[in-house]
Amino acid sequence: MRGVFAFLLLFALLPFLPLGVWRAFLLDVGLFVLLFTALALSWDLVARTGQLSLAHGAFFGLGAYGTGLLLPHVGTLPALALGALLAGLGALLLGSVTLRLHGLYFAIASLAFSEVLRTLALKLPFTGGPIGLPVPPPFGGGLPLAGYYLAFAVLALAVALSLWAEKSPFRLAQAACRQSEAVARVLGVRVVRVKLLSLFLGSLVAGLSGGVYAMKALFLSPYEAFSLARAVEALVIPIFGGLYTTLGPLLGGVVLVGLEQALRLWIQEGYLVVYGALLVLAILFLPKGLLGLLGGRRG
Amino acid sequence: MELLLQTFLNGVLMAGVYALVATGLALSLGVVGIVNFAHGEFLMLGAYLSYLLFAFCGVDPLLSLGLAFLAAFLVGGLTYRGLIRPVLRAPELNQMLLTFGLSVFLQNLALLLFGADTRVVAPPYQAATLALGPFFLGAVPLGAFLLSLALLLALHAFLTRAPLGLAMRAVAQNRLASGLLGIEAEGVYLLTFGLSAALAGVAGVMLSVMLYASPTVGFLFTLKSFAIVALAGLGNLKGVLPAALVLALAEALVSTYVPGGGGLVEAVFFLVLFLALVGRAWRGA
Repeated sequence: MRGVFAFLLLFALLPFLPLGVWRAFLLDVGLFVLLFTALALSWDLVARTGQLSLAHGAFFGLGAYGTGLLLPHVGTLPALALGALLAGLGALLLGSVTLRLHGLYFAIASLAFSEVLRTLALKLPFTGGPIGLPVPPPFGGGLPLAGYYLAFAVLALAVALSLWAEKSPFRLAQAACRQSEAVARVLGVRVVRVKLLSLFLGSLVAGLSGGVYAMKALFLSPYEAFSLARAVEALVIPIFGGLYTTLGPLLGGVVLVGLEQALRLWIQEGYLVVYGALLVLAILFLPKGLLGLLGGRRG
Repeated sequence: MELLLQTFLNGVLMAGVYALVATGLALSLGVVGIVNFAHGEFLMLGAYLSYLLFAFCGVDPLLSLGLAFLAAFLVGGLTYRGLIRPVLRAPELNQMLLTFGLSVFLQNLALLLFGADTRVVAPPYQAATLALGPFFLGAVPLGAFLLSLALLLALHAFLTRAPLGLAMRAVAQNRLASGLLGIEAEGVYLLTFGLSAALAGVAGVMLSVMLYASPTVGFLFTLKSFAIVALAGLGNLKGVLPAALVLALAEALVSTYVPGGGGLVEAVFFLVLFLALVGRAWRGA
């Protein structure tokens, strides 16, 4: 708990720290840490019900495209909200069918969902197709720190949701769904509703972080916005940091997004090879992640 | 009318390879109980093996078929021993994450090694066609179709006649009871996983001629195979061939009749998967 607040405080104050010549670079990296950590927390929220979402890249892309397309017409904050809502609608469409079935169907359908959305983004007439979509900066570009603090707000929201789910009875419902659906049903947990709500909330956060990303990147292409890399990042970060916790993804986010900046310079294409290896190794040897290594307390 | 029939023919020929890949996936899912997201990467392995042998040693892809079967069997067996066995009793989420991680790792490893270019194996008979009245059949797709069918028939015979095949089905049905009858589940799992990979490897060689070898060629086949398996029903091997036919025909029809359907073909599998799942949710399965 204290770690989580220290983390938030550090990032809230980052623009005012004496960073010297590194300031612009660190703020850029910091913004991506905030966004991808929020994405990771939103994935963890779904994972707590035992469901493997491979569609978080798609929710991210839906939020990004929704925001990018609406921004010129309705202004920054409504565009963000509507973009997130679009991601939420996609999640409801996907979840209302697949979350009633055995967990593997949801995992498969979510992966297929993200692939098919990329195809649609390439083909639909209003998305700019393979050429891409230019996106204006937030609030007309007048406030230099607007993007950073929007990203911070998204992360704060993700942390708040995650802490709420951790401290409230909702945690028990989620854990029951994860450990045994049959038992959860007998205990009176509305399994489908819990899973669907978790997915909906998770997809809203993922959509928001996609929207802020769009305004930071200023340009969207289907290959980038709906890239499988997003989905991979969204799940490697919590697994590496520590599943089913709030602090774990925060830790994992700082380490891995930092690492990614280095890897991209170093091996460019194919840097995901490291993420794939990390994922396999973490599952085999570090099932509780960094937090478990640091002597975390959860069982 | 002729166009429609030609479209149907193309779809049917493609269905053979689809069924071959999906049967491998269904085997590992039905017998070992593992959702293998890396199934398509075994296919990619076969495709690159075929390409490398052809480009550097001039080996005909027909010969590579056998080699790819063995190589993929070996890699599949090693994957089972090293990665799958430790998580067999872990929660399903962890199992899926592991195979997904393996898939990401292998895809990007191939990207680093070979680059993103597509590589085609072009033996002299690649463009040969057979005229059948007003219709044309590519020699390679026809050969791949017949070979896939032969392999599936051999697999069927193996699963219904051979003691080892019967053991596989027994383990798939009930691990405890088959164990009491003296069947070592461990060995059966290893063999099944290897066989599953080997089927994908052979399909990879065929695709290196029909389509191409690329780092992501397998990934799409993983997804399509999942759509086929979902349509057929988990663990239902006999349903795989008709389900593959449905997907292949739907894709052929879309690519012929939907304007600008070239890119949309890659979305058809999702429609099939989604409708199959809607049907399943409806029945409350």
